[in-house]
This record gives sequence, structure tokens and C-alpha cells, in this order.
Amino acid sequence: MTGSYATAITVIALMLAVWTLVLVAMNRSPGLSLLAAGVVLEALLVGFLIGGIVQMVGSDHHFARAEFVGYLLGCLAIPPMAAVWAREEKSRSGTLVVAFAFLLTPVMVLRVQQVWMGPLA
Amino acid sequence: MPDVVDPSDTVDRSGPALTGQGFGRILVAVYGLFALATTARSGVQIATKLSEAPLAYLLSAFAGIVYIVATISLARGDVTSRRIATMAISVELVGVLGVGGASTLFPHVFPHATVWTGFGSGYGFVPLVLPFVGLWWLRHTR
Repeated sequence: MTGSYATAITVIALMLAVWTLVLVAMNRSPGLSLLAAGVVLEALLVGFLIGGIVQMVGSDHHFARAEFVGYLLGCLAIPPMAAVWAREEKSRSGTLVVAFAFLLTPVMVLRVQQVWMGPLA
Repeated sequence: MPDVVDPSDTVDRSGPALTGQGFGRILVAVYGLFALATTARSGVQIATKLSEAPLAYLLSAFAGIVYIVATISLARGDVTSRRIATMAISVELVGVLGVGGASTLFPHVFPHATVWTGFGSGYGFVPLVLPFVGLWWLRHTR
């Protein structure tokens, strides 16, 4: 859960956040390339969910399992929700919503890892 | 001259139904995030360990419902929704100040954190700032 896969998601999400913030600064709407990159991130998050559940089932250490799956699902839900909510808003604000979603993804990944480590970590 | 609505305007003043546009998009997104996070978290807590701290978890669930109502009514933005949003955000303001104050003065009563404990310090004080921004936005778009 703390491996390079999670790090890759974090790095990619942060790169997309920077990209989106540049679009905000330039007052440009997100294009097809950002959408494609977002889909790639979303696919990685699907892998994160599946990998997380497989690891959880195969492990017997005690941690908040329901919360763990909840955060994994939360990771997955945020980018599409932001995309839908930002779609009708053609101003900077809409683009900023997308940037927030990308910034939120690393925070959610961190929470997934914290829950995985258990209350002692 | 007809009233042409320019969608690129960040603050649009052609009518009252605009709380979910421009800056409102961001505000609704933040409210939506808190609605999701608070409701999901308290749902898990109530389902798995309600007996540990019924007050804190039910309070969290209440906060979650307030956030859901605020999110939906801000996003809709018609006359009735504005009224509901104003009420929900006022409840939110009283809640964060009340719970924040009580948890600071009597920390032993609130051993389990809620979204409003310590004026929302667990969430970077965003829960404290949010109702002020929400009420300002409702006034601003009136």
C-alpha cells in the first residue's frame, strides 16, 4: 500500500494539478489532452482499489477495513465528480475545481495509507 | 436590449439563480467534498462503533446532513434554495462555533473528534471559514 504504485499516483496527480493550475493562470479551458491524462489517472486509481482490496483480503493485521475501502472508493469518485461539476462552468472557476480534485488525490492516497498502517502509525 | 448572459463572466448579475456559478462552482465543490467526507466517515463510525462515542458520531452525521443540504441548495440556487442554503449555513456556523467553543472549554466531553471539534482544526480550519464564505456568497449574489 505504501509502495511505488501509490507514489506514482501521487506524482502523476500533482503533475496534473500543476498542469491544470497553469491553465487557470492562462485562463484556458481544459482540453482533450488533460481529459485523457485524467482518464489515465482514474485507471491507475481503479488499479489502486483492486490492489488494495486484494492486499486487504490477503492480510490479517488489524486496521479499519471499512474505512480503508471507503477511502479507496473516495479516491476513485473525486476526479469524475469534479469533471462533471466543472464541465458546465467555462470560466476559471471550473478549471480550478479540476485542479482541486487533482490536489485532493494525493491527500486521499495518504489517508488510504494511514488507515492501512492502523491507529499506531 | 435583451439581457445577454455571458457564460465567461465569473460573477454574473442577471438574476438570483447564480449561487452555483463562477466562484460558486468552487464553493459548491468544497461543500460537496465536506458533505461526502463527513457523511461517509460518520456512516462508517455509526455502523462499526456507535457505542464508543454516540454523541460525537451522531453529531458528525448531523454535520454531514447540514453539508449535504448546503451543497444541493447552493448548487440549485433558486429562490427557495437560497433560503434553505441560508438556513443550513447558519446552522453550520452555529454548529462549528458551538462545538468548537465547547470542545475547547470542556475537552473531556469531546474525546472523539468531529468535523467541528476545535473549530475544525482537524480539517485545516476550513469548516470554520466555510460558513462565513457561504453567507458572504449568498449576500454577494443576491
